[in-house]
Amino acid sequence: MSGWAQFRAILRKDLIRELRTRDMLVSMILFVLLAMVIFHYAFTVKENADLTYFTGGMLWVTFIFAMLLGLNRSFAQEKDERCLDGLLLCPVDRVTIFFAKSAGNLIFLLIIQAVAVPVFTLFFIEHNYAGDLLPFLVVLLLADVGICALGTLLATISMNTRSRDLLLPILLLPLIVPVLIAATGATTLIFAEGAGFADLAARLLFLLGFDAVFLVAAWGTYDFAIGE
Amino acid sequence: MSDSPDRREGAAPLEIEVEGLRKTFGRREVLKGLSFSLERGGFLSIFGPNGAGKTTTLRVLATLLTPSAGRITVAGHDVREDPMPVRRAIGLISHDPMLYLDLTAQENLRFYADMYGVEGREARITELLERLELSHRRYDVVRTFSKGMRQRLAIARAILHRPRVLLLDEPHSGLDPRAVDIFDGLLADIRAEHTFVMVTHNIAKGLELGTRLMIVESGRIAYEQAAGGDPASFTAVYREHVQEGSAL
Repeated sequence: MSGWAQFRAILRKDLIRELRTRDMLVSMILFVLLAMVIFHYAFTVKENADLTYFTGGMLWVTFIFAMLLGLNRSFAQEKDERCLDGLLLCPVDRVTIFFAKSAGNLIFLLIIQAVAVPVFTLFFIEHNYAGDLLPFLVVLLLADVGICALGTLLATISMNTRSRDLLLPILLLPLIVPVLIAATGATTLIFAEGAGFADLAARLLFLLGFDAVFLVAAWGTYDFAIGE
Repeated sequence: MSDSPDRREGAAPLEIEVEGLRKTFGRREVLKGLSFSLERGGFLSIFGPNGAGKTTTLRVLATLLTPSAGRITVAGHDVREDPMPVRRAIGLISHDPMLYLDLTAQENLRFYADMYGVEGREARITELLERLELSHRRYDVVRTFSKGMRQRLAIARAILHRPRVLLLDEPHSGLDPRAVDIFDGLLADIRAEHTFVMVTHNIAKGLELGTRLMIVESGRIAYEQAAGGDPASFTAVYREHVQEGSAL
């Protein structure tokens, strides 16, 4: 049995389940939309105020909190009826489980962003950034990989604890700060100044490095993280 | 119970060997040096009071828990050093069905078939669903199944990949009489092909099915015998140990 086939089986199972129940996607989308409405009223202190330099921060804070909701739910289903035991009984490399779960979370985050970014643009962005769409998509993808890799690892560690709903944000939020800083900076530069790849190089490299560090860390530790 | 190699000449090869199994959770030692073995095709029934360490033993054999000490081999492979072949060789039926409630019966079995690399996946799934009288619910989500139906599907999940060793943790728990009949019929059908370890409080079932009987109490083997003895005397010993265990 190849790891690739097992990866696809776990990912397919998670996608079928989520597309059937939609409990994770619906809660994440609702959260993101409500957060934007709240940001809109909270930050509009003056008519026609320029919020461009706040946009990156608003966007990424919203995505990270939305992902916290999703991560807890993505592992809750594995605890139901002891499905995790069923998964661990299979002759599957634990790292394959990590990559499949991370890929699932990444797909869900991208779906959320596909809904949220146009709404966000409508609410907050006055500058037309259509010409800078490619750098923005690269920032989204690199930051998402880091959020999902770290989030999946930490959600796995916290899932076996009694206070997992509390533990996951306590573990994730401090560690995700570097991604937040780099992604917020890059996004704001794109929205506010129309920055291109050359202007974003340092931030993109940082995000790439973060992704690599946590993917390698998960590779080395996931067997212990998902064990007893 | 563990026989020396020279005494075992002509006997079936050992499928499970456990030597000095210890398991601790924090400071609490749950298993305190269990040793036993089981020949291929054998059926070991493990009894004992709640908290005696029966399920922990089963979970160590299933590679779900790592032993703190001891040497445990299943199907010739060390559970700690070489867990992948052990996982291919075992199936676990527990009172929790380990099924995804929002997937259909077919989707659950397809998922596990893919995880085990089952050849002839669709034919095998169809065969098992028919054998377990679940064909008519093939496309229904498991959430709509009764407890007995979920347990039958869990049996299909556990034997889908044709494991050599079946680990049964209170398999009759929560089953209605019809489901018990189907389950026992299936066990009888596959009895010759597998080695079994069953943890149970159901003394009648344990005695009926077991070729070896073992009572675990406070993490140690308190009593063991080959099947075929007097059921009444074993029952008396069991009740004595369960009462002692409950009093601890």
